[in-house]
Amino acid sequence: MSEPTREEIYDKICELLKPYNPKNHPIKMSSGIMSDLEVDSVAVFDLVMGLEDHYDISIPMEMVSDIKTVGELATAIKELTSE
Amino acid sequence: MSLFDKYAPLQTRVDMMMKIGKDALGVEFDDIIDATRGRIGNREILLAGTNNYLGLTFDEDCVAAAKKAIDDHGTGTTGSRIANGTYTEHVDLEKAIAEHLGMPSCIVFSTGYQTNLAAISGLAGDNDIIFMDADAHACIIDGTRLTGASTIRFRHNNPEDLDKRLKRQGEIEGGHALVVIEGMYSMFGDIAPIDEFLDVTHRHGGYLYIDEAHSYGVFGPTGCGIAEAQGVLDKVDFLSSTFSKSLASIGGFCASKHPEFEITRKVMRPYMFTASPTPSNVSAARAAVEKIKTGGALRDNLMARAKQLHQGLAEMQYDLCADASPVIAVRRPNEAVAAMEWNWLIENGVYVNLAVPPGTPQSSSLLRISLSAAHTEKDINTILKAFADLKDNQGALMAGMASKLQAAE
Repeated sequence: MSEPTREEIYDKICELLKPYNPKNHPIKMSSGIMSDLEVDSVAVFDLVMGLEDHYDISIPMEMVSDIKTVGELATAIKELTSE
Repeated sequence: MSLFDKYAPLQTRVDMMMKIGKDALGVEFDDIIDATRGRIGNREILLAGTNNYLGLTFDEDCVAAAKKAIDDHGTGTTGSRIANGTYTEHVDLEKAIAEHLGMPSCIVFSTGYQTNLAAISGLAGDNDIIFMDADAHACIIDGTRLTGASTIRFRHNNPEDLDKRLKRQGEIEGGHALVVIEGMYSMFGDIAPIDEFLDVTHRHGGYLYIDEAHSYGVFGPTGCGIAEAQGVLDKVDFLSSTFSKSLASIGGFCASKHPEFEITRKVMRPYMFTASPTPSNVSAARAAVEKIKTGGALRDNLMARAKQLHQGLAEMQYDLCADASPVIAVRRPNEAVAAMEWNWLIENGVYVNLAVPPGTPQSSSLLRISLSAAHTEKDINTILKAFADLKDNQGALMAGMASKLQAAE
């Protein structure tokens, strides 16, 4: 797989977030995953597992704990897919 | 701005629950009568959510052992084993469990929660990587947070997914993989394929750690747990459990087939810097270990009651989360409905657990039932009758909830 752009990663996050966003909150790069989108802490880890599998990367839980927004998650995946 | 502003969304959820009825996460019993009966006000309550799997909390030998320990060695240890020393009760219990499991090392802790906190943080170092089942209990998650190790989550009860993630990680430089799973999972009551996890873990040179909090005493010919039931106990690297379920006390243990595990007594902070378990708690658990070894009849009764309840609820078309086991979780459509039904059940004399996200897998809202060997066939019929009535009264209950919520606004 060629290296994805941050925008492509953002689109993928939006797609995988759908089942965790029943109230259809608008998803922006600046959206807080737990604070704005109301995704609970366990569901965030489930979302991350889907992203790990899609990009064939490991995103350790301690890294996820530091990620608050959709943009920060996209940036982390961008870095991990560039390694 | 206040320190508590961050809890506003949580407060909204709690407020909703209180509008519907009682605080399901803070039930106050006026009396606990025996292993299956409590009392709230004048109403006797059938306890079906207390994890008292073998019903030993009022067992005369366990009670007598606890009382004798108080007479012999007092009510408290007043400190940790590194500061205040080890009591004979601690040593006896560690030896008894080690012998029961056929492992050379066993360490006793003050609570089940602290057991996983201590052992995981003691085992995994900065260069190791922890692989944790996605449905692992909070104490396992918190244990990983006390380490400098990276933690990777794998899909629940899925050895193939673990294999994929171990392969993805490749060679772990200067460290090892510690794979952490549970025997029977506390929320859904589903059971791990330990034999397959052992195979995958050992093929990658890792160590398998199993939390048998809900299965020690409950499964296996001599009650050692799911690993024994699956015939692979001798291959398990680390096995932890709690005293607060089948052992009818409070505390926990971690045992290992690696004698080197003993060194972790010198590094595990939740072991070193907390008071050791009291002589009475330890002695009650010690008496319960003997009951477990010969507890085939208790386990048979427990499984018979589990099958009876599971079958009855399935016949009523309730959505059950797993096959029959001592934990039976009934999936409800959402938190408000589950909370309302939970209230209806306790008002009608049946106590189960209300379990809601994020404490549940798949963001489920559950009415969680845990059974006891002390439950009778008649008790299960009482629970089934309550769930049947719940279904029959669903329309009236929904209308009642809507009016309660409206009235509160």
